[in-house]
Amino acid sequence: MPLKLFKCDETIPERERHVYIKEEGEDLTQYLPASNVNTIPGTLSERGCSYCGAKLVIGGALKDTIQLVHGPIGCTYNTWHTKRYPSDNNNFQLKYVWSSDMKEGNVVFGGQKRLRDSIMEAFKAFPDVKRMMVYVTCATALIGDDVKTTAREVEEELGDVDIFCIQCPGFAGVSQSMGHHVFNIDWMKEKIGTYEPEIKSEYTVNVIGDYNIQGDTFVVNDYLNRMGIQVIGHFTGNGTYDALRGMHRAKLNLTNCARSAGYIANELKKKYGIPRMDVDTWGYDYAKEGLRKLGAYFGIEDKAEQVIAEEDAKWGEKRKWYKERLAGKKVCIWTGGPRLWHWTKALEDDLGMEVVAMSSKFGHQEDFEKVISRGRKGTIYIDDGNELEFFEVLEMIKPDVVLTGPRVGEMVKKLQIPYVNGHGYHNGPYMGFEGSVNMARDMYNAINSPLWGLSKKDIRQEV
Amino acid sequence: MSVSIIKKERTGVINPIFNCQPCGAQYASIGIKDCIALVHGGQGCCTFVRLMFAQHYKENFDIASSSIHEDAAVFGGTQRIEDGVETLINRYPDLKVIPIITTCSTETIGDDVEGTIRKINMSWKKKHPDCKVKLIPMHTPSYTGSQVSGYDVGVLSLVTELAKKGEPNGKLNIFTGWINPGDVAEVKSILSQMGVEGNILLDVESFDAPIMPDKSALAYGSTTVEDIADSANSVGSVAVCKYEGGRAATFLEEEFDVPAVLDSMPVGIENTDKFIKNISKLTGKEIPESLVIERGKAIDAMADLAHMFFANKKVAIYGDPDLVMALADFCIECELEPVLLLLGDDNKKYAKDPRLVDLEKRANCNIEVICNSDLWELERRIKDKSIELDLIMGHSKGRYIAIDNNIPMVRVGFPTFDRAGLWKHPIVGYKGAEFLAETIANTLFTDMENKHNKEWLLNVW
Repeated sequence: MPLKLFKCDETIPERERHVYIKEEGEDLTQYLPASNVNTIPGTLSERGCSYCGAKLVIGGALKDTIQLVHGPIGCTYNTWHTKRYPSDNNNFQLKYVWSSDMKEGNVVFGGQKRLRDSIMEAFKAFPDVKRMMVYVTCATALIGDDVKTTAREVEEELGDVDIFCIQCPGFAGVSQSMGHHVFNIDWMKEKIGTYEPEIKSEYTVNVIGDYNIQGDTFVVNDYLNRMGIQVIGHFTGNGTYDALRGMHRAKLNLTNCARSAGYIANELKKKYGIPRMDVDTWGYDYAKEGLRKLGAYFGIEDKAEQVIAEEDAKWGEKRKWYKERLAGKKVCIWTGGPRLWHWTKALEDDLGMEVVAMSSKFGHQEDFEKVISRGRKGTIYIDDGNELEFFEVLEMIKPDVVLTGPRVGEMVKKLQIPYVNGHGYHNGPYMGFEGSVNMARDMYNAINSPLWGLSKKDIRQEV
Repeated sequence: MSVSIIKKERTGVINPIFNCQPCGAQYASIGIKDCIALVHGGQGCCTFVRLMFAQHYKENFDIASSSIHEDAAVFGGTQRIEDGVETLINRYPDLKVIPIITTCSTETIGDDVEGTIRKINMSWKKKHPDCKVKLIPMHTPSYTGSQVSGYDVGVLSLVTELAKKGEPNGKLNIFTGWINPGDVAEVKSILSQMGVEGNILLDVESFDAPIMPDKSALAYGSTTVEDIADSANSVGSVAVCKYEGGRAATFLEEEFDVPAVLDSMPVGIENTDKFIKNISKLTGKEIPESLVIERGKAIDAMADLAHMFFANKKVAIYGDPDLVMALADFCIECELEPVLLLLGDDNKKYAKDPRLVDLEKRANCNIEVICNSDLWELERRIKDKSIELDLIMGHSKGRYIAIDNNIPMVRVGFPTFDRAGLWKHPIVGYKGAEFLAETIANTLFTDMENKHNKEWLLNVW
């Protein structure tokens, strides 16, 4: 019974195609869960919208760019104070959001004038900021506002500003994923090649698909610096708008999040011949492997080995300490998609843990190919999981810890199961050698909290 | 002393004070037992809002999406409502209410929610004659109003659809508005001291859910369909917040002759006095000595702080309109000077609100009120030094203004995610006034210590 119909899904039997339990000797190609298809209404699916995929996930991480959302206020309010991507310029990108604050009259008669006024006001309020991204949302897409024309007019009038428009309303696609795609492809079409970066090293890369959650980017860039490699564009953690315009000048595209940013890596390869090298920037042993691949590509293996040796000396003992204590613990990973395949074997190899159930909100078939080939037998692989399924999974497998978002974390807490924030982390960064140890520490502390023991006791039965 | 009411002059918004209408309707829906709302729109309209409730309460609340995709956006989305309702009813057998909440997309394309509900009700009657689930339309286009009016629409829709005349129940309807579980507990305590049985709409006290040994507890509201139906039979209604539940109270008055009182939010001594007197008037119950003692304790606590630490301190306040107006009264009571009030949406009624109009008589400073405001209005005034502040009172989304400008800040309203457990504490009632005054004092004290600003003062006061 490789595909699994949960009891809670008996009235929506099409869910069976989305759930797979891996067994010995099966031809995986026969059982890849259906993915990236329409959501079933009313399921309490975990999915968000494609505007989120563009603005909150990718564009919003840039540290020097106004993120103006053309629509009613909620889309702006909701993508503010929810992310943990710091920057080295005092976190401009975390502190501000902008909205054209669409009103009913604009829905009836058009919102372009309103957008134009809002753009001008935003540049006036922040005179040092010269870069902007404008996002269309559900209502402004439906009424057909031509945001690109408005943006071109403002660029001409102000002269020194550059504006990128993302036309990806919340109903486009089936999840956040479409927002990634539109952002990638349009950035490639419109902005790459319009800026010439200063080249300071013979080894240059773009780091693609890393959003500096709790400072991941700083960790990754530190390794690259020590190897003498220049990062041209960081897509988009701690990134700048103009650096992303100059991505065509890198010699290699180092790709971590192949889901959200594989598109632009592919396009850069097609148009400029820049090779795409996929690495896992999470995971202790994966970090070694990634640095070795990178060293080999540029012929600087010695530098890679030096970084590895230094890092291993610093973190190796700590990793071992946690591995001894975490070995055999059962983990669920319920996140977006890529972290399933980045983490399942890394947690097994680095820490001896067993990932027993995984759910992806918006992964595509290739994400499931990756995770099922790396993942364990007996593990449940779920596409677009929903709340009742989560309860059923917990009952089936009784995990020791769940890696998921804070809201679901609060839910599993009532079942006396600890969580670690698999999106924004507890105490990150989680990338690289030190990150792998940070993650181990947070899982160890979560599992070993005395509170779980206390919560199970009923004092009435202990008189 | 003057009160000047002005409007933000910019078209766009930088750092909004409020979320949009559907968020408010969703907040109303989670206050009901056996209720899962179906948010008819893109998935973000529901997922983001669930996250926001988790930020404030550190709990999970169930809300569903109709998951509008491109085809529905072009060709109409009513089938998504039908499918969503069916899925919910099939998978959640205890469900009793499904509010269907519209969003900007589905209001723009003009999906006929009422017609769809009729259609579903007809077909369900045939398929499942025992099914008693109520479907309630809530029209909340996000390009009108804000989370505040959305909550008001939500509660009004519940009452219009469910309230039913029957036998008098002797209870008093309390429309809580968007207040914390701690506030609801405080309102209930006042009622019980007065011997009044309340019909709490909506009762969110149970949002403070325990971890139980048998893992049985989850967070949900505890107002039932029957409670809402019974609201037509109460002796009267008191709206704790006029703009959040006020229209529902007025509806009951017009439709079922249940007298409604829409007065100040009971924040501060005098506003609580009014609240208690209103309850007494509607129910004929006397005010017990226990409340006189509570009141005296609060004044005792505030008197230690007011002229010593609070007098002449300048305060900016932002948030829900009822809260901001009532906090201004509270500030004046304890000698704080509420120089800047920011109201975060375009409701034209604020400017004519009698509480703001009357504020001039009580004001202890010149007060600027900005309607349709955003938080950039506050930040800009601080940065260009057109105001100097000693304290900010507002929700956590304004935190960086306080942090970056070294101004002490007390978290009030929604959401307050950057401090622990605030939603458990009341700010309404005498106890709330006491808690607020002491929280303000402790915040100022910590600030004195951090800045080494006469921190040695805090020994004998």
